[in-house]
Amino acid sequence: MKRTLALGLLAAAALAAAPAAPQAGKSEVAKMSLKVGDTAPDFTLLSDQWKTVKLSDYRGKKNVFLAVYVLAFTGG
Amino acid sequence: MDSPAANAAFAKQASLTFPLLSDMNKKMLKSYGILKGYDVHDDTFEWALRANIVIDKQGIIQFVEEGDSAVDPNTALTMCTTMHKKDAAK
Repeated sequence: MKRTLALGLLAAAALAAAPAAPQAGKSEVAKMSLKVGDTAPDFTLLSDQWKTVKLSDYRGKKNVFLAVYVLAFTGG
Repeated sequence: MDSPAANAAFAKQASLTFPLLSDMNKKMLKSYGILKGYDVHDDTFEWALRANIVIDKQGIIQFVEEGDSAVDPNTALTMCTTMHKKDAAK
């Protein structure tokens, strides 16, 4: 994975207070709207080093592995 | 969503070598269709699906995995290795 940038997106804090077993809602079965072959929407986010990370900065340079990881228990 | 400070502490604790990003305003999660609403009693809560997404150098999505299967990153990592080998062969 030398040339692949791995980005972790952690969303634990807001989720820790969420009910463990929510009742099934109509939107619960919704799927991610993007699929293979689509152009990845650009984004600008703050890293853990307080640096701005932009997806388009890696265009033509690196493949990107984006992991959206909720309930990661970062303690945040 | 976790703050950069919380992510920094976690990255240090787990000795991570890749950036951890915070989507505090949920903008990216919404644009990727990852943020979902869940109806609980009379209220709706929003949180993200787990997802692994591999994007190539041209900005095209090459792999998507979501939900329970996205807990294991190995399939996505294999995809990264394959792409890397293809790049190296060019």
